[in-house]
Amino acid sequence: MTRSSARRAPFHERYFHYLILIPALLIMIALTVYPVINVVQLSFYRYSYARGEKAFIGLENYYRLASDRFFLKGLSNTFQFTALATVAELALGLGLALLFNTKFRGRRWLLPLVIFPMMLSTMVVCAVWGAMYHYDYGIINHVLRAVGLSPVRWLFDPNLALQSLVLIDLWQWTPMVFLILLAGLQSIPAEIYEAGRVDGASGFRLFRHMTLPLIKRHFLLAVLLRIIDTFKIFDKVYALTGGGPGDATETISLYIYREGFRYFNLGRAAAAAVVMLIAVILISAVYVRQVIRGHA
Amino acid sequence: MRLRRLLVGIFLVSTVATLGLGGPKLIIAGRDGVYGAAMQLAVDLYKAEHPDVDIELLKLPYSGLYEKLVIDFREAIGAYDVVLLDDVWATEFMSLGWLANLEALGFTAEADFVGKALAVGRYPYAQGALYAVPHVGNVELFAYRKDLFDKYGLPEPKSWLEVLGAAALIERYEPGIKGIVFRGKKGNPIVTGFLPIFWSFGAEILDVDGRPTLNSPQAVAALKFFLAMKAFAPTGVEIYDSSELRDALQGGTVAIATEVWPAWVPALDDPAKSKVVGQVEIIPHPGLVAESSPVIGIWLLAIPTASKNKATALDFLRFVSSPAVQKKLALEVGLPPTRVSVYQDPEVVAKYRWYPAQLAALDASRPRPRVPEWAQIEGVLGDYLQLALVGSMPPEEALAAAQARVEEILR
Repeated sequence: MTRSSARRAPFHERYFHYLILIPALLIMIALTVYPVINVVQLSFYRYSYARGEKAFIGLENYYRLASDRFFLKGLSNTFQFTALATVAELALGLGLALLFNTKFRGRRWLLPLVIFPMMLSTMVVCAVWGAMYHYDYGIINHVLRAVGLSPVRWLFDPNLALQSLVLIDLWQWTPMVFLILLAGLQSIPAEIYEAGRVDGASGFRLFRHMTLPLIKRHFLLAVLLRIIDTFKIFDKVYALTGGGPGDATETISLYIYREGFRYFNLGRAAAAAVVMLIAVILISAVYVRQVIRGHA
Repeated sequence: MRLRRLLVGIFLVSTVATLGLGGPKLIIAGRDGVYGAAMQLAVDLYKAEHPDVDIELLKLPYSGLYEKLVIDFREAIGAYDVVLLDDVWATEFMSLGWLANLEALGFTAEADFVGKALAVGRYPYAQGALYAVPHVGNVELFAYRKDLFDKYGLPEPKSWLEVLGAAALIERYEPGIKGIVFRGKKGNPIVTGFLPIFWSFGAEILDVDGRPTLNSPQAVAALKFFLAMKAFAPTGVEIYDSSELRDALQGGTVAIATEVWPAWVPALDDPAKSKVVGQVEIIPHPGLVAESSPVIGIWLLAIPTASKNKATALDFLRFVSSPAVQKKLALEVGLPPTRVSVYQDPEVVAKYRWYPAQLAALDASRPRPRVPEWAQIEGVLGDYLQLALVGSMPPEEALAAAQARVEEILR
């Protein structure tokens, strides 16, 4: 009898770890799972919110998206923006992290300056860059003219507008990548480098074979965070170009906003959101796989 | 004991607030900028006469106002008692029963209101019941530099072909001055800039049966003309919106603006803001195949069906739309009136020399199609016009694509 009681703990003790998860689980179901299910369900309907008309149309919203020039361009632009911004921010962030991982004069004064852009509101950033990009009065073109170069049509050249937005994102969010990677670099014990040097490694070989593998997890975290953030690109496009010129800066988020909140076509907006969700899940899955492997 | 007293006090205060024993309260969903300043003045004047009425004025930006109103009306929340709305949204709101019938509430629309302005507040258009009172007498106007036209012996342009000729001539001989400016930004700006040309070429968005006719030969000719103007426009006109257009006109760097709105005009004669004081002439748009066809863009005041203070809201509407208040708003803030008597008032005309032209433009104006789907049609047309403007699509193809999308919307 006594042995049996000792083996079998009371219910609340046996399932305590499950019980404490319940509140978080309920919140997650209410705020994440239910909305996702609702959006997926809505994507099979023609739903005019304003008129209150709702009709089941199966996959028609998805067929329409597949032939909608602005959605397809938005999809392509979103991937392009994400790739360009993430790669550039990682490269620049890594360079800055390596620089600030060394001791140099003025480091403590420069550090706050470097991280300053990410502390600004995006709307403020857009207002400042919008003024700087102005063709006639912008400081950038003013400098270009002063050194004898032609002014650049930053935001209204269809071949350049998206890259101009990438440049703003690079300025604003490289500091975040920099901080993550700097944290990674500063967590590497100095003895490891000393051991490497004793074995004859130096310079690029030390960086390639010791530094990079040791900050791999920080690097992957920065990649994931920047991909997720840049994939949602909306504010800069909304504030500066509205998706133009033409469809040069259309993005999926802007498309969803327009269909959902300007035209109130909730079914079409939901279908576009599902496509976006699938893309984000696929991208995140790569990271999750890496993390699981790392723990294994 | 103290805690109990405190709780009783909180209960009493909240009960009084809930029951509205402090007098009626109006919540007005208005606009920011000049419209916000004008409404603030109207509210202050009203409160001086009705100190018992509590008024909360929300000065909301244009961007997002439509969405806020749709959600409030659709859910019958009744968050607002008076709303300021763009006439392009009115048909949708009125047809869905979201606005109260003002005549049924006791409002009488006098003949003094500008006919075209009052017509957009009725549903069906011009003939039906009145759901909204015209508050801002906006109409799209045309502006040109009289000094430059006089210098080159050019008469006031009567047709769009003369406009293009003048733009080319002035740009050729006046260094640093571009021939013409318009709003090229995608969406509402480019559509609004294009419509006077579109209509004057004899094109229509919808035919008499409500079918889209965006790719008619007249429409294609109008778009080709619009694209021809780009050759004489400032670099970057593709993303020009109101502020860029105003900067160009006030800065004296353009000879012609195909689109000027009444609220922008006072700054042209303000030496602190303008380099072309007294040199810009404001007239109704030129015509071509059809007569001058400026776009009317009235801002209307309405009472949502879900409002809980309709009687007070109606009283406020009567007050703010009266000739005396309209005159005060025009003189003190520069708000374009919607009453004929104010346009003809000598004191008002002495201050705003273009008001006779503005009244003529209002009389000649056309509303955007009175269909509930206009917001979406405008968005689609704006997308494809811009693709044509930036050269990503030939005009015929752009209008054909817009036609297909609009057919789908109206299906």
